[in-house]
Amino acid sequence: MTDDLLRLSNIDKRFAGVHALKGVDFSLRSGEVRCLVGENGSGKSTLIKIISGVVRPNEGEIWVAGEKVSNPTANEMIRRGVHVIYQDLSLFPNLTVAENIAMPHVAESGKVLIDWSNINATARQAMARINAKIDADAVVGELPVGLQQMVAICRALTGDVKLLILDEPTASLTKVEIDQLLNVVADMKSRGISIIFITHKLDEVLKVADTVTGLRDGSIVGTFERSALDNDKLVEIVTGGPVDQSRFRLAKRERKKLLEVRNLTKRFNFADVSFDLYEGEILGIAGVIGSGRSELAIALFGVDPADRGSIVVDGRERRIASVQDSVEAGFACVPENRLTQGLALKRSVADNLIAAAIESCVGPFRLIDRNHRDALIAKWIASLSIKANDPQVAVETLSGGNQQRVVIGKWLATAPKIFILDGPTVGVDIAAKSSIHQIVRSLAAEGAGVILISDEVPELIRNTNRILLMRSGRIQGEIESDAVTSDELQRMVEAA
Amino acid sequence: MKSLLNRSEFYLALLILLLCVVIGSLNPHFFALQNILGFLKTSSVNGILAVGVLFVLILGGTPDVSFTAIAQVVEYVVVLATLRWGGDIAVGFFIACALGAALGAVNGFLIHYFRVTTIIVTIATFNVYYGLLYVMTGGGVIFVVPRFFKDFGEYLILPTTDASGGVFGLSLLTVLWAGALALGWFILRRTFLGRSILAMGGNEIAAERLGIRTFWVRMFVFAFVGLLSGVAAIAHTAIVLSAIPNSIVGKELEVIAAVVLGGASLFGGKGTITGTLLGVLLFAVLRNGLVLLNISSYWYDVAIGIAITVGVSFSAFQQLRSRRSKVNVIVAQAA
Amino acid sequence: MKTPLVSHRSFVDAPLIGILIAVVVLMAILSPVRFLSPLNLESMAYQLPMLALLSLGMMISMLTGGINLAIVSAANLTGIVTALTLKLLTGGDSASASVAITLVAMAAGLMSALAAGALMGFLVAYLEVPAILATLGAMTLIDGINVVLTRGYTLSDFPGMLLAIGNGAILGVPAPFVMLIVVVLALHVLLARTRFGFDLYMIGSNLTAARYSNIDTRAVLMRQYLLSAAFSALTGFVMMGQFNSVKSNYAQSYLLVSVLACFLGGVDPFGGVGRLSGMVLAVVILQAISSGVNLMRVDPFFVTAMWGAMILALIAINHFSGRWRRSARLAEVARTLGVEQRPPPVGER
Repeated sequence: MTDDLLRLSNIDKRFAGVHALKGVDFSLRSGEVRCLVGENGSGKSTLIKIISGVVRPNEGEIWVAGEKVSNPTANEMIRRGVHVIYQDLSLFPNLTVAENIAMPHVAESGKVLIDWSNINATARQAMARINAKIDADAVVGELPVGLQQMVAICRALTGDVKLLILDEPTASLTKVEIDQLLNVVADMKSRGISIIFITHKLDEVLKVADTVTGLRDGSIVGTFERSALDNDKLVEIVTGGPVDQSRFRLAKRERKKLLEVRNLTKRFNFADVSFDLYEGEILGIAGVIGSGRSELAIALFGVDPADRGSIVVDGRERRIASVQDSVEAGFACVPENRLTQGLALKRSVADNLIAAAIESCVGPFRLIDRNHRDALIAKWIASLSIKANDPQVAVETLSGGNQQRVVIGKWLATAPKIFILDGPTVGVDIAAKSSIHQIVRSLAAEGAGVILISDEVPELIRNTNRILLMRSGRIQGEIESDAVTSDELQRMVEAA
Repeated sequence: MKSLLNRSEFYLALLILLLCVVIGSLNPHFFALQNILGFLKTSSVNGILAVGVLFVLILGGTPDVSFTAIAQVVEYVVVLATLRWGGDIAVGFFIACALGAALGAVNGFLIHYFRVTTIIVTIATFNVYYGLLYVMTGGGVIFVVPRFFKDFGEYLILPTTDASGGVFGLSLLTVLWAGALALGWFILRRTFLGRSILAMGGNEIAAERLGIRTFWVRMFVFAFVGLLSGVAAIAHTAIVLSAIPNSIVGKELEVIAAVVLGGASLFGGKGTITGTLLGVLLFAVLRNGLVLLNISSYWYDVAIGIAITVGVSFSAFQQLRSRRSKVNVIVAQAA
Repeated sequence: MKTPLVSHRSFVDAPLIGILIAVVVLMAILSPVRFLSPLNLESMAYQLPMLALLSLGMMISMLTGGINLAIVSAANLTGIVTALTLKLLTGGDSASASVAITLVAMAAGLMSALAAGALMGFLVAYLEVPAILATLGAMTLIDGINVVLTRGYTLSDFPGMLLAIGNGAILGVPAPFVMLIVVVLALHVLLARTRFGFDLYMIGSNLTAARYSNIDTRAVLMRQYLLSAAFSALTGFVMMGQFNSVKSNYAQSYLLVSVLACFLGGVDPFGGVGRLSGMVLAVVILQAISSGVNLMRVDPFFVTAMWGAMILALIAINHFSGRWRRSARLAEVARTLGVEQRPPPVGER
């Protein structure tokens, strides 16, 4: 207790109808490397934001080095030695590498005048510590993401760091850079700095963690010693074991080919992607963030079209240069980020449901036939069991699961041939997840072709008949879903 | 050499040179020292205002359009006060700086506190300041100003007499402009305050996370704009030797266009003193050229509009292009 | 049971009625006999359309979180182009122009406004320039063109048809007022009952989600600025009729007032919220204030200062009631819920 560097007790946080953290207790010793694991929407990010002072908990207390922090603001936590490398890096794109790295140091020194030689020296020192080879005069905004991340880490090293939090740091790094990073972590640990490392790459967890804390659905599952863990146990912590053991079974009948993609390429996103999709099947795409899987979905859906390659839908070659082209070809897409891409939060459930299908309600003079529209809305609310007392309430008031149903419902109304779903159960609680899986399976059962992109290996295995493995922008392999176990697939996905 | 070619200021300087050559070949009087020193004197007003505008643009977001109203108000107050109670140029500057800074600070406060874009707030304060000026002064023109304005405006460094007996030399106003540029450069390049302005322009959230006191930085920027507007007002009075209510008001877009052309981004975080200087020079040369070539000055207004539109489109186009080529995935080589 | 097509909570509708009553009462007290006189009411009915058309044009651009700073400039442009075309077609004697020629000239004027709208639409929709900057550029450009076209002079002496639009009456009701009513009704149908209106509100609420929902955002934004410019054109015609002259810098103070009208009428500058009923009330309120202070012989410059102060006051009120910050808050919620995102390249704002 007394040699805890950090202690959180009974932290509770809610926003916009979501109970993000439920009475969480968390503690960490000096020099301990703790990995925080949990699915998206488990509360990981919220917990980190509370530790770093960016977000205030509704209830609960925070202690640093034995002292209670009564006013946990961002500045206060930095003062106490808690530094975060955010996923968005928090750098100044218009300033140089040297200035970005030295900025906290300069800010803290309180000096009025700038000493450029000091700045350059500070930056060089920090870069040397992790052997980073970056041009100190380069403008940060022009660097590739991997280098920007290095700059962010160097910046954190300039201060008196007691606790360093890394939020998905390796998402866009090459293997070499990842190894470098893990070495840096080990080095800092040996100097007594505590690290909280958030990652969902389970092999990294096993490489770098002393202890692991699992979060699920806003509560802590438990904190475990590294020695007691292996890949299987980690998967179990993260997913909580399958609630629903059922698997998707492909109906055996003559199926026609719905989609044929050949050599689809987009610079900086993916290359030479080729695959087929048949009626009634659910094709999974497995791959980590940065593998190009979501970029592929966006290209097929016309939001950010590919550079070249062919897309043949139902025997017809299609040029997809816009969302309109894609929808006309028969695509529908439930995007990765429900809140920023899938829904207009301020608008009603009704408006969001009808958004894609509204053209079918348009009559003479482009006027909307309100009866037809209301009928469609009512039909989909009932058919998808969307829990909303009044279709006129703003969609932001719905739970995650219901919100996702609205997004799916929006597209059902257009009767698409091919449904692309990117992370459809992210941020949805366990109970609602399986009902969404049922909806997805019924889509396939009714003859559509479904492409399911997911981070969660068990979800992919249980809900698809085939899985494509995507890595570094390319399809690396294809497997039958019933020919592989969760662990095997997990390893295949994580493999560098 | 390569880095020189990459900088937009280089191309701007080339453009100015080109313009000079064209105008000069059509009317050689353009190259006369007398002429050059002359337009350097008259464009010092815009030049001083431009330094302030640069700071606001770097800070981020939309430009301030009330600075000319502030200048106009200050002009009247200083003239009326010194007419009434006497005083010299020093007193004039003192009042101008203090009042200008105060009026500017009001903008800073409103913009930071209400988190509304600069341009909307400053459209409102512009009208408040300008409207009240008219109400208090009845819109009257003052044709007689205290003597010290004339002395200040006509003071020449290294006076030279030309063939026809006219005297010319480097004006104090040009020196004042140079001083404003130097001060702006120093703040931006050599002080933490200046770097904070750039930081906020690049990523305000990150700046706050680092503990930069964004409120005070913002207050400084707007007070500084106000102060410079006051200084510009004095310079203006020294040139026109009168106070006319809409003599400075109306120049806002001209000054903003010059700063934008000089490379300051209307999205924030970017801009240099060199670029601002070049931008103002470009417009000064253009205006001088139009006069010397007897072309209607109305085309000048069109040029301003084109400059802003092109500047805005160019920045947006660049942003669009960088978004298209952002590296989302490090794609592996083909097997 | 018919449900409204667009559901949203607006700023203050009932309170606006209260404000209107209060203003009318106040003005009536301050100018006892003259404010409520038939002459004054008639005069207000003639002046209101100009303010209303500009405010509605501004509202249309604000619905998607944009703004149209060139609204007055485009109105002047319309008037100038129309006047010049009249001059050209009648060999200098504009007042004698036939109805046909007048219509041709008006068409030319309308085209010029639409060209301006197309420019702004292109910048905002296709180059993704923020609306404030795009329309700022357009405004200065158009102002410059206006000055060049008129060489600073005033053009006047227009044919009867135009004068009728500005000053005529239909069955005793001022012609521009009648036109305004027709326009408001048409706009209501457009916003509340058509696909275009639906798209506008969806884009204003979340541009990205609208794109993902198969709404052709670029086409809609382009049409939005064309429509806004059309309102400028209508205003230009009314101005020609009422002033019997055009100049490059008429009605510049109206830019401020139209923004004020939108804020007062409950339009959220971040987009997605705004009702025609609120706008109508706001415009009537501002017209009442304007006429009232005019009757009291208040210095017109004081009036512009007052408009400026009112905008600041409205910004303050909206800030304290937290309404406008909902959009900012929602974005924060989305980020904080930590729905997993790849780290965006730092260069992206």
